[in-house]
Amino acid sequence: MANIAAQRIQREFREVIKSEEVAKCHIKLELKNDEYTELKGEIAGPPDTPYDGGVFQLDIIIPETYPFNPPKVKFITKIWHPNISSVTGAICLDILKDQWAAAMTLRTVLLSLQALLSAAEPDDPQDAVVARQYKEQQSVFRQTAKHWTYIYAKGPHREAELEAKVSQLRGMGFEEHKARVALSTCDWNIQRATDHLIS
Amino acid sequence: MEGDKTLATSASTKAVEEESLAALNMDEAILSQRRGIEEQIASEQQYLVSSTRELSELERDYQHHGEFSARIQELKLIYGCLRRTRADGNCFYRAFGFSVFEALRKNKAAYQAFRKSITEAKEYLVIIGYPTFTLEDFYENFIEELDKVCDGEGCPISQLEELFNDKGMSNYLVVFLRLITSSQLQKEQDFFINFIDGYSTVKEFCSQEIEPMDKESDHVQMNALTSATGVCMRVFCMERGQYSTVTFPSDGKPIIHLLYRPGHFDILYPSADATADSPTL
Repeated sequence: MANIAAQRIQREFREVIKSEEVAKCHIKLELKNDEYTELKGEIAGPPDTPYDGGVFQLDIIIPETYPFNPPKVKFITKIWHPNISSVTGAICLDILKDQWAAAMTLRTVLLSLQALLSAAEPDDPQDAVVARQYKEQQSVFRQTAKHWTYIYAKGPHREAELEAKVSQLRGMGFEEHKARVALSTCDWNIQRATDHLIS
Repeated sequence: MEGDKTLATSASTKAVEEESLAALNMDEAILSQRRGIEEQIASEQQYLVSSTRELSELERDYQHHGEFSARIQELKLIYGCLRRTRADGNCFYRAFGFSVFEALRKNKAAYQAFRKSITEAKEYLVIIGYPTFTLEDFYENFIEELDKVCDGEGCPISQLEELFNDKGMSNYLVVFLRLITSSQLQKEQDFFINFIDGYSTVKEFCSQEIEPMDKESDHVQMNALTSATGVCMRVFCMERGQYSTVTFPSDGKPIIHLLYRPGHFDILYPSADATADSPTL
């Protein structure tokens, strides 16, 4: 069994390396060990989304029963998205769960994740806080996602106003990431974010 | 006033966070429960496809359901023995694959026709845009094993049993049979859409019910796989109050026989010459 998985990943790896998407720097795949059981993926944030210009890294674990069962994939790069946990990076995507099919590949997975960044599904959320903001305050959501992309994914678009609010909370002695999470969670209301951090 | 409101919003944010965490734990719990069930089935059923067994063995499955013993007597009038398959959701494809390989091994003409049909089914998937990289891999593997089984005088039955009980190899064959089924459903979608409940397109049905492993099969899958491959199959459907037999296609001469009990398929051998090695076809 494990042998089937390793052989398959070996071949997939070669396929991805020479693919058009790699040439255009849209996706990337790297081996983390010689057994082909752990890989690092990378996807570029799609244009016309708050993730534009960002680079998102993924942790990919190949189960022994691959390709009959899906790879285990999560975001290493922190991201603000309704279908991705802002805490753990866990992803809610059907093909990584019960709709995986053995004819799919890691390339399919990377491209599907990229598509997920373009089209969130807030009614099937992984992160309920983000999903609620996405549905109720779309513009706040977009700013927040763009800010997270700038901070964690080397994105090019700065959100000066949000950065100032993070600095303000840091000035009050809160740790930077915690402050950012609290502010993002509380729709950038400083008072509520402070209460949230204290409670 | 203002403070109260802030507190209330903060509490509701907490509630959403907790809900989110609970959903995550729920996913984990479902996954671990599923793994538990799989392990239990695997420990009770060591085989993926068993050796041939007496039909009377079925009586043990129904110790507390007397009405089934009448069904088993009816079954015995037609069939001599059975092979069980593991109840892992892939039983239809595995039972189909095993009995087709077994039947084709001594039937050169049917073997060539089958080989041609599955090649066409694969080609159709290429046309509608399936990734050739993996598709060709499953296809080539399937053809290679089929050729090994049917080459010359046909391989010994023990080799076939070994092939279908090697989990990796066996699942490779199942994946390809799922793809052929999907190919046929999509090719004849105007027809099949009438028999699919709960899905707006045949494509959606295929990606949720056919192509993922461990998804169970029913009438639609039986119809699609037999028509794609040109294999004539008779199914003995055993239910509490009655039995019925269905042949796909209805005017054909069956070369394989399956036993269907709601949610599960096993392999049957007609009784006229019911030895394992040469069932009457």
